[in-house]
Amino acid sequence: MQKKQNKKAGEVSRRDFIKTSAAVSAAAMLSGTGKIFAAGSDKMRVGVIGCGGRGSGAAVNCITSSEGVEIVAIGELFEDRLEKGINRIKERMEEDKLPADKFKVTEETCFVGFDAYQKVVALDDVDMVIIATPPHFRPMQLEAAIEAGKHVFMEKPVAVDPGGIRSIIATSEIAAQKGLSVVAGTQRQHQEHYLEILRRIHKGDIGEIVAAQCYWNMEGLWLEAAKNNLINKEKLGWSDMEYQIRNWLFMVWLSGDHIVEQHVHNIDVVNWAIGSHPIKAMGVGGREVRTGPEFGNVFDHFAIEFEYPNGARVLSMCRQTEGCIRQVSERVIGTKGSTYTDGSVGYIEGQNAFKFEGESPNPYVQEHTDLIASIRGGNALNEGRRVAESTMTAIMGRMSAYTGRALSWDWVMNASKLDLSPPKYEFGDLPMRPVAVPGKTKLV
Amino acid sequence: MANKANKKADEVSRRDFIKTSAAVSVAAMLSGTSNLRAGGSDKIRVGVIGFGGRGSGAAIDCIKSADGVEITALGELFEDRLEMGIKRFKEKMAEEKLSPETMKFTDDTCFVGFDAYEKVIACDVDMVILAAPPHFRPAHLKAAVEAGKHVFMEKPVGVDPVGVRSVIASSQLAEQKGISVVAGTQRHHQAHYLELMKRVHSGQIGEIVAAQCYWNSGNMAPWGVRERQPSWTDMEWQCKNWFFFVWLCGDHIVEQHLHNIDAVNWAIGSHPIQAMGVGGREVRTGPEYGNIFDHFAIEYEYANGARVLSMCQQIEGCHRQVSERVVGTKGSLYTDGALGYIEGQNAYKYDGPNPNPYVQEHTDLIASIRTNKPLNEGRRVAESTMTAILGRTSAYTGRAIKWDWVMNASKLDLSPPKYEFGDLPVRPVAVPGKTKLV
Repeated sequence: MQKKQNKKAGEVSRRDFIKTSAAVSAAAMLSGTGKIFAAGSDKMRVGVIGCGGRGSGAAVNCITSSEGVEIVAIGELFEDRLEKGINRIKERMEEDKLPADKFKVTEETCFVGFDAYQKVVALDDVDMVIIATPPHFRPMQLEAAIEAGKHVFMEKPVAVDPGGIRSIIATSEIAAQKGLSVVAGTQRQHQEHYLEILRRIHKGDIGEIVAAQCYWNMEGLWLEAAKNNLINKEKLGWSDMEYQIRNWLFMVWLSGDHIVEQHVHNIDVVNWAIGSHPIKAMGVGGREVRTGPEFGNVFDHFAIEFEYPNGARVLSMCRQTEGCIRQVSERVIGTKGSTYTDGSVGYIEGQNAFKFEGESPNPYVQEHTDLIASIRGGNALNEGRRVAESTMTAIMGRMSAYTGRALSWDWVMNASKLDLSPPKYEFGDLPMRPVAVPGKTKLV
Repeated sequence: MANKANKKADEVSRRDFIKTSAAVSVAAMLSGTSNLRAGGSDKIRVGVIGFGGRGSGAAIDCIKSADGVEITALGELFEDRLEMGIKRFKEKMAEEKLSPETMKFTDDTCFVGFDAYEKVIACDVDMVILAAPPHFRPAHLKAAVEAGKHVFMEKPVGVDPVGVRSVIASSQLAEQKGISVVAGTQRHHQAHYLELMKRVHSGQIGEIVAAQCYWNSGNMAPWGVRERQPSWTDMEWQCKNWFFFVWLCGDHIVEQHLHNIDAVNWAIGSHPIQAMGVGGREVRTGPEYGNIFDHFAIEYEYANGARVLSMCQQIEGCHRQVSERVVGTKGSLYTDGALGYIEGQNAYKYDGPNPNPYVQEHTDLIASIRTNKPLNEGRRVAESTMTAILGRTSAYTGRAIKWDWVMNASKLDLSPPKYEFGDLPVRPVAVPGKTKLV
């Protein structure tokens, strides 16, 4: 099922071609002719790296988002997951009545293994990649994609440790130099009510921001899957590495813990509202209920106070515990009012009260619409640094809770040597890092 | 050492006498003579209930606070703790060069046992210091107020909603009787807090929109574990390690962090209307640590929409931060045990004198008794205690909880079936999402 396709030297890459044609197209439009578009030249050929639930979902979102999108290649770590992913995409396309010919993946363009992503980005016929593997792999996969000149849609979070964040920022800068688009799966940034509320915040409708609260408090997540993974490890003889990756949500080195993996959405909104990352974090957290071995080494709750350069203090609270209250939202408080936002509504209270009542298209589709328009319009969107900083904010909060220390942004960004990577990427032994113990876990 | 001193019926109580003499004294002063003061009539006779570290410390503070204070009776649950308390007390008296004259308790006025408080209250005392573990506060306050004694009571003033309601009822009774009730939330008697709160209330930071308060200790507990002796019953073990048992201390969010929560309620001028929080027992997990959590983080919502972060942690090796920050539309307030300032449009830093608040609270209490202008802090400290209990309940159950529910509907009563030295199984540690809301 694996086949490496070598890039022919001297061939104009599709990306270059599309950019050129878009630029020429604008010129052509001005001169009254649009004939320069060759047949099929407006196709957007997409490779998917990581074809689990999110990767296959993003592929369908991408097809839905714009004309001319084709899924042409897939990379996955596991063969069974690849097959499942392909079936899921096909079923979903049928459900959504999307033309079947938009799925152009063949046996030759399917790859499995730790290097599958390299094979996908090496394909000439790929203009853009969707990176949807577990967060640990994001930095290396973004780097490979940008090096190969591909536009990128990448899921959040974009790393699990400060080393990974620095890599993402560096790669995003290269992308900017190359004029490549990098859009992240922080879909609130492409959601109409968020855009409108944030626009009003930035023009001063709630005054100066003095505080905020954001939460991702929910019930349990993937509880059955975690149990089955542990059973299957024994039954099917999975190596440590295979087991951990199949159970990635619960492994800090893979997911970054749920404050990073999930709560980054809300933290990202607060950074967006304030217009900056925080300068300091102080937090608590623990593993109170989800304590079984099937739940790896992540915590089940965190509460962090972030301090921002303007003095604003922000409460970030997240929990994944069965039977507990659900609250997933953001609240930003200014000297003239406050905003409330969640996945479906947004309003302002205070001197400039406002409630968003307009259309809010599916943001999981819209983020692809915006990305592809940016590619076709030759105006590269680059969300790399922004999402890297939001991810780092969550990592800083996690590190504060894990160690019990108050941490400064500058230290985490510049001095921390934390690198959660395994010694090597192969299916074999991999002892699990112990669960963090506040006050004892060392600051690295 | 225990001896019951019966109050003689028809004897004029010292409180009545002092009240009368104070009133007469003011009249006398107005008429230019103060001869009416009989020798010793301005004495305040104090009984101490709970003679551990805080009880003996409060007794010293009380003696230092005003002239004419005498410690005349002591009550303790354990004989050995009583002896230790007396020894500590005498040493501290000598250290601070306080007159031994003020130490008037005798073998006949020292009591031990679960009913020691009743015996102290029955003694010829004007005022009692309530410094037993928090669980006992409601019962002790009720007995003291019913007997007409002025009260200094340590914080917190209850461990469950039932206890807090009792404290509110007793405080109302105290008010009707003109009895002073002062609580050991000493920030209310500390000069920089008083000055800064005055400024907050006069609008210097504008409308309050948010606040943060913390008691992140950075250590396991303010004091250590007392190792269980083979001869100890469950009850003795738990009472001697009261700090680690929810039914006795209320957990550290109630026992300790209450101070900071109280300051926020004070600033906002109200208790919250809702709480949502997390917490856990992450590091301090051994059975010697009873059934309390080691960290909490609660968001309180107030009637004016302000949201408040309350965070507390008792974990060795973690960051220390014990302070309050109140954020308004025109500025913000920072306070901790040593300093306070306002930033923003009306920037200000308190630089004035700052007398020891642990002494000042007694000075204020005794002055209120002597001038017959009773101070009554009962409801305020009860509401702050309930705020902390509300947060704890939210973290324990994983639920968002309303003030009205906890104040009016909760049936939570952590009392043991009986007060005697015998078996007492430890309640299980709370499990968010599973622990039932009662």
